[in-house]
Amino acid sequence: MTRFSSRIATELGSGATLIRERARVRPEGQPEQLQQEDAAVRMSRAGLFGRAAAVLAALGGAAVGAAQLEASTDSQRSPARDRQIFALGLLIERLQAAFYAEALKAGHLTGEAHQFATTVGSQEQAHVAYLTAAAGSRAGKSPTFHFGDATTSQSKFLATAIKIESTGLAAYNGQAVNLTPSGLAAAARLVSVEARHLAWARAIAGKLPAPVAVDVPLTAGQATKVLQQFVA
Amino acid sequence: MSDQRPDSLTGLRIADFDVDGALRETLDRVPCETRSRFLRRAARTGAAIVGAAAVRPAAAAASATASDDAILNFALTLEYLQAAFYTEAERLGALHGALAEQAHVVGMHERAHVKEFKAVLGSTAINEPSFDFHGVTANPKAFRATAVAFEDLAVAAYKEQAPKLESRAYLAAALAIHSVEARHAAWIRRLAGFLPAAKAFDDPLSDRKVVDIVNSTHFVTIDVPSTSARTAPRFTG
Repeated sequence: MTRFSSRIATELGSGATLIRERARVRPEGQPEQLQQEDAAVRMSRAGLFGRAAAVLAALGGAAVGAAQLEASTDSQRSPARDRQIFALGLLIERLQAAFYAEALKAGHLTGEAHQFATTVGSQEQAHVAYLTAAAGSRAGKSPTFHFGDATTSQSKFLATAIKIESTGLAAYNGQAVNLTPSGLAAAARLVSVEARHLAWARAIAGKLPAPVAVDVPLTAGQATKVLQQFVA
Repeated sequence: MSDQRPDSLTGLRIADFDVDGALRETLDRVPCETRSRFLRRAARTGAAIVGAAAVRPAAAAASATASDDAILNFALTLEYLQAAFYTEAERLGALHGALAEQAHVVGMHERAHVKEFKAVLGSTAINEPSFDFHGVTANPKAFRATAVAFEDLAVAAYKEQAPKLESRAYLAAALAIHSVEARHAAWIRRLAGFLPAAKAFDDPLSDRKVVDIVNSTHFVTIDVPSTSARTAPRFTG
């Protein structure tokens, strides 16, 4: 079995070691009550389109057609559409990168939370570079972000990280069905890393890293509704 | 009796998926009169074992649906493996604390994934293979290392297969599971003392490599129908 594990490690790359807080071992017996992730808000499509368009216009930069970003099984896939979708991904990554940078600067993170912000922050920056290239002419300028009191304590930081990572992951899962195969192959490489980020943040906060068997996607409109609160 | 004949149940030939000759070698040991029965059984179970359900253009039918079904069967194979692994670990009760919790919750997810794929595939779902985990499920350290490997493997496998899916409904489902597997991976990696996210980008693994790795574990066994002995008798007819 060591052989198998090391084979996987060779193929997939094992990681550096983790700084651990004192291990939070749950008492044996009952596992934590399973919590649903924040359920996707159910809104009418017409309402979503209008709102998403307004939010996206306010964000500037990414000239995305809100109507085209609805996950739709009928819609055409194309490289141009890929770029629009990557532009939404870019917004998510820019937001996340800015959040982690600000949290580190604020200086209230210690131990594993600090390692999380450092590690994940640099990965988000790599994602920003990747998606900036992928979005091409749709990349635009980064909006300015503000995070209020989210970085003033470790617990607020973790709660906000969970919210941002959860929204980003669900947005990716919602949009990815509209990508071309090569666009999807490119996006998939970072989507699973976003999922790891979310699981990690939840674990540090004492929550189940993966509470449900299937991750619920969000539409672009639903995602931007959450993300817009961080846009200056 | 030629083992090059297409199997009527799956349309696949043994040669198409017998990647390392293990199946052929086992076949050579099976008495002639049980070969047809073995072939039919192996074609279904063997397909799971050596990943025949992985997309191979030569073997898969031309239609998109058959190709998608093959991909889902490949995913189902990995889910069977993971579900059986976690289920047995939980049953044996050698795990405690956070590791036991992980095995319990993640096991529930994998069993749910099996159920979902079987429901979607209906009669085209492959049967569950037989497994022998060689004591790994009774040893917390070995369990943990293997779980890390399984979850990272599943992420890479889903990532490779997803872009090949024709149906967007199947794709949505595959993506929703792919991200859960990534969360599982982060979870167990953290319990094992590894960075939950080691790199900014995760890479896919080809179906050939996934099959190869799964085969190398020897967790999946072929149930040879003619004998209950550990090794099949040599054909002496």
